[in-house]
Amino acid sequence: MKETIYTPASQITKPLQLLRAMVTDLGKSRELAWRLLLRNLRGQYRQSFLGVFWALVPPALTAIGLSFANSSGILRIGQTDIPYPAYVMLGIVLWETFRDSLKGPETAIRTSRPLLAQIKFPHESMILTQLGEILFNLLVKLIFVVIIFLVFKVSVSWTLLIAPFAFLSLILLGTAIGLLLVPITHLIEDVSKSMDVILTVWFFLTPVVYPMPTQGRLAFFIQLNPVTSLLMTARELVTTGQVTQGSAFLLVSFLTILLLLLGWIVFRLSIPYLVERIS
Amino acid sequence: MAVISSDPFTRAKDSGDDVILAVENISKRFCRNLKYAYVYGLRDIGAEILGIRQESDKIRKHEFWALRDINFAVKRGESIGLIGANGSGKTTLLRIIGGLFKPDRGRVRIKGRVAALIALGAGFNPVLTGRENVFINMSILGLSKREIQKKFEEVIDFADVWDAIDSPVRTYSSGMQARLGFACAIHTEPDILLIDEVLSVGDARFRAKCYRKLADLRQNGTSFILVSHSANAVLNICDTAVYLSKGQLILWDNSQDVMQCYEADLLAASKQDLQQHPRPAKANNPDSELLISSVVLRDGEDGSIPYLYSGQAGKISLLCEARRSLENVNVSLVIRELTGDNTTVLSLDSLRDDQIALSVPMGQSEIQFVLPYCGLKPGLYNAKLCLNTKPYYVYDLYDHFRFEVKPGASIVQSEYYQPRQWQVVSPKH
Repeated sequence: MKETIYTPASQITKPLQLLRAMVTDLGKSRELAWRLLLRNLRGQYRQSFLGVFWALVPPALTAIGLSFANSSGILRIGQTDIPYPAYVMLGIVLWETFRDSLKGPETAIRTSRPLLAQIKFPHESMILTQLGEILFNLLVKLIFVVIIFLVFKVSVSWTLLIAPFAFLSLILLGTAIGLLLVPITHLIEDVSKSMDVILTVWFFLTPVVYPMPTQGRLAFFIQLNPVTSLLMTARELVTTGQVTQGSAFLLVSFLTILLLLLGWIVFRLSIPYLVERIS
Repeated sequence: MAVISSDPFTRAKDSGDDVILAVENISKRFCRNLKYAYVYGLRDIGAEILGIRQESDKIRKHEFWALRDINFAVKRGESIGLIGANGSGKTTLLRIIGGLFKPDRGRVRIKGRVAALIALGAGFNPVLTGRENVFINMSILGLSKREIQKKFEEVIDFADVWDAIDSPVRTYSSGMQARLGFACAIHTEPDILLIDEVLSVGDARFRAKCYRKLADLRQNGTSFILVSHSANAVLNICDTAVYLSKGQLILWDNSQDVMQCYEADLLAASKQDLQQHPRPAKANNPDSELLISSVVLRDGEDGSIPYLYSGQAGKISLLCEARRSLENVNVSLVIRELTGDNTTVLSLDSLRDDQIALSVPMGQSEIQFVLPYCGLKPGLYNAKLCLNTKPYYVYDLYDHFRFEVKPGASIVQSEYYQPRQWQVVSPKH
């Protein structure tokens, strides 16, 4: 019979054992995560008649507003490769996916508080559930993007087929950062509040609603921003097929994998301390 | 207060039995100050990630030991009760065993699968149907889809919610939800089941069903770790018990002895209370026309006495002051046991008894509750006394009259004193 031992010693002192436990728990999480995902989606949509419609309203409103501002000359945004409404809609959908991924781990812990405080279950399932929800929302929003593309007669490139990899990188980068932040977002209330401020600034430092600038002081920061290459590449793969940030994209994607592993470890090790403080 | 002298492991090993749970020198510290708790939390997480966290024997500023050097072991098929006052560390200990908290010192060894009956219906989504929620709840508890399908009918039979199984859980009564939650948890077939004061849910019939189910599980070799205030629950279910006080283990022994020690301590503490609180009542409503000025115990001859005696005559007297003469006064009296299960032993109403209301003259008077024989068994009691009139209007209320009943007549092993006679009658021709 299997023996479980709980000691105060840090698990990281036995990395192999830790990794094995992580993989086992991930395996155990799959079924539970799927069930929790179905629960959340059903719960969400059984209560509202308009259902998925609500996921579309905020990005659509932003896109429409910006398109009007652009066409009436209030905003002076440079030339985009595709009609501006399609450009901005796709950009916002991608940005929102990144933003939701970043907030994912925090949301997951917040919504599972009563469970965390009382039952031991593979915690990876919370994160998987969150990822599932993000993917679902992304798919719903992409349907809307398709409609916009059809309306504005935007042609797509064959590289559309590899675009999902770029989407995935974007989601995983967000999740990795979110996981790394778990210890502080849950211990200190101020951090989770300041996240919204940081994300707003970050939004403006990412070419979401404007094309990549070639000069100016901001261009430097925009170039440094890791989300830039992921978001640009994702959008380019869908539309023109001409990737302008290829090497940066590969570098960031590679770093994302490392960051994700690190974030996962931090998340795992932090949970018992968080549980102590939320129960 | 006794302390266990021999080491639990040698004790468990000596007996040659299979130890399923061993709690070895477990200590846990907590911080009461919120700000420091955050700082320590961050520091601990940092140390954990860097791998420099070690056993620690010190407490930092604003910290206290929630558990200190706790040692005990549970053999396969045996059950143990955790008892102690609120804040003694029972739940913390249960959570360490359940793997939710990390200990700061010592270690816990567990053989087999642990399930917690702590959260009844944790993870229930009110919008979803009972059926969906059973699947979710049981997979949180660690069962696969196939296992759940196999158990499903049994669970619903046990919870007795077949009629409502496809309605949203939001439409369930709280009793139904608790039943469904309990049924889910209890059907996961763990080796060790952690139970945290959850047996108080549902109606008496369902509770009886739960106890029967627990007995079945015990027959099949499941061990229980039960946190409870109820002496009966611990005595019925557990072989051994651990008595905790302020994070320290006071006694680990067979449940009867531990319960006795615990109740003796409780009694001593309550007696101290008794001495500290003066008897006279203070008025809740000084403008009332009828006030209780104090409550005293009297013997059959109206002499003031400090205790009542089982089986002997006595009176509980309310000394009152009336502003004017009053008709239709009713006295209600509720007596609860302070030791044991805190059950209500008497609930009386003078109006209900005689159908005649009492008349109280103006000025001072004494309303007496006369007991030809005091039927209460020895122990500590709390009486709640209320003077009112119908329809419901309360003149005055005194809900903290504590008193002790001393042994008078012999009532060994009986729940109450029965006035009695024995006789032989020969048949008449």
